[in-house]
Amino acid sequence: MEPATTSTAIAFEEVSVNFGGLQALSSVSFSVSSGEIVGLIGPNGAGKTTAFNVACGFVKPSSGAVTYPVSKRHGLRPDQLARSGIARTLQGVGLFPHCTVLENVMAGGQIRPHGGFFAGIFSSPASVRAERSLRDDALAVLERLNIAAVAPRLPSEIPYGTAKKVSIARALMCDPSLLLLDEPASGLDGAELDDFAHLITTLRSSMGVLLVEHDMDFVMPLVDRLVVLNFGEVIASGAPEDVRRNPDVVAAYLGVDQ
Amino acid sequence: MRTLAPRSRIAVAALTLVVVFVSSILAAPTTRNGVVLGLALDGALASLSVLSSRDLRKRRPTLARALGSVVVVDVALGATFFFSANTNYNLAIGAAMAIVLLGLSFLTGISGQISLGNSAFMGVGALAVAIWANHHASTPLVVTLLIAVACGAVAGLLLGLPAARLRGPYLAGMTLAFAVAFTAIVNSFTSWTGGDAGLQLPNAVTAPRWMATLFDSQSSPLALNSAWLADVTIVAAGVSFFLMANLIHSRAGRAMRLLRDNDVAAEIVGVSLARSRVLAFVVSSAYAALGGGLWTLINNSVSPPAYSFALSITILSLVVIGGIGTVSGALLGGVIYAYSASVISWITTQTGLNPQGNLASQLNGIIFGALLVLVMLFAPLGIVGLIRRLHRRLASKLPG
Repeated sequence: MEPATTSTAIAFEEVSVNFGGLQALSSVSFSVSSGEIVGLIGPNGAGKTTAFNVACGFVKPSSGAVTYPVSKRHGLRPDQLARSGIARTLQGVGLFPHCTVLENVMAGGQIRPHGGFFAGIFSSPASVRAERSLRDDALAVLERLNIAAVAPRLPSEIPYGTAKKVSIARALMCDPSLLLLDEPASGLDGAELDDFAHLITTLRSSMGVLLVEHDMDFVMPLVDRLVVLNFGEVIASGAPEDVRRNPDVVAAYLGVDQ
Repeated sequence: MRTLAPRSRIAVAALTLVVVFVSSILAAPTTRNGVVLGLALDGALASLSVLSSRDLRKRRPTLARALGSVVVVDVALGATFFFSANTNYNLAIGAAMAIVLLGLSFLTGISGQISLGNSAFMGVGALAVAIWANHHASTPLVVTLLIAVACGAVAGLLLGLPAARLRGPYLAGMTLAFAVAFTAIVNSFTSWTGGDAGLQLPNAVTAPRWMATLFDSQSSPLALNSAWLADVTIVAAGVSFFLMANLIHSRAGRAMRLLRDNDVAAEIVGVSLARSRVLAFVVSSAYAALGGGLWTLINNSVSPPAYSFALSITILSLVVIGGIGTVSGALLGGVIYAYSASVISWITTQTGLNPQGNLASQLNGIIFGALLVLVMLFAPLGIVGLIRRLHRRLASKLPG
């Protein structure tokens, strides 16, 4: 593990997205540094998911740019992003239903070397070795998250909270410099939430984390910074306490709860 | 190089013995019994080495697969020395079909796509062999077959590139169109393909001289050559199955299973969807072309109407009956296909049907259709799926 640095892991520069006539994002700018946990919040329809999809390459910005200093390039396809150290989880669990938990985690190392077609069909010694070390690493990540016992099971046979951990284990397999978490708290109960918050805090030592979340009780103590979206615009950003007191935010979003 | 566990060392030693044994047989074959004895010993050694190391499959997966293929190929090769010419012909046809089935089983079961065009890809391979042999009669067998594989792969690439954008019924529709168009395409290049009449090979594939010495002088050349063709096909099938087992268990194979299961999640772990889909299509087409090329060698000719759309349906039914996405299911499908001709002729004689009659000519479709319905009702995962389920049930009932 490298020590935490303060380099930028992802930066949105004046990003706008139009779907037909709908302005989903307008001139959104923010950044996440390595070693930082940033929460992206906002009411339903505020553009959180769109921003997230732009971050991981599923949606191309209509104007503006997203830069990933890791790869020194922008406008990458999702699979190219994965190659440049950006890992994400999907809403829900997003696992592969007919593959075992171990294979689901091994999938996170899909982009490692010696995994090509010809290496595979002729079973080259290098590919067999790479496959063995991939398996060992996947088991190690499962051990680290204390879920190694479910390695041979199918995702449908394990509890929901464990399945969410499996999806994080998969994301960790490519040693990402930026981890994008899509609603990590949804569907979890109290004890699992604490467990998850702890897990995410331990990850920041080696990467930047950007998470989209509804659950304010989960997000507030966890993140270093919040970015609040409403109607596709950033209406506030800063430390959780400051954002909580921001009148615009209270009016747009938090006020609904209180 | 990591050091081997003692049990793996036994396995490696056994494989070395196997190789030495086979090469000594091939170098100086004297009698038929000698060859059969050699094959039996070789197969027994390979089985022993697999059994001697229970965790061989985990420690040395490639070696385990190689040994498994050697055992099956040995048994089949040994059998060809005793079978009649007719049985060997059926065996060869079935073994070639097993290769085609494996390709489609992979495309459907592993990569989650469908193709109704594999009859046409078989046809591409079949014609490639015939056309090449008519221009370069002295090309070695292996090279001719590899040319057929390459032609099938290129055809698969051309169809696979647009097909990678299509899903489900649309993909089925497009590949169906190719299957239907194939005979028409063949007919528009009659000077090359011979049209509906097809092509004859300039000279039939004959057994090499060393093999002829193994047979009694009274043996007919027909028996000898059909045994040789069956042997060639069995070895080709063994290599194809070994390579496919490697691919399925490799990371490239996993990429295909991942995108079959959840294409969005596959994309975020770095699987290139289009590339993997096209690759699966190319592999499936190349396997079909190899099977078709072997059919041309076995039949000594190619008749393009045989590669019509109906054959695609038979291929798909056999894959479903055997068990989609399983290597053993493809093998089983090949065996069923090999015996279907004998079963149909048996039914025809037993029932006194006119063999040239309308009903008799439809029996093939009727039988496969009925078998397909039965399998879908009672074993949706095919015969292999059924066996696995029974095995699991037995295992859970037994203590320990």
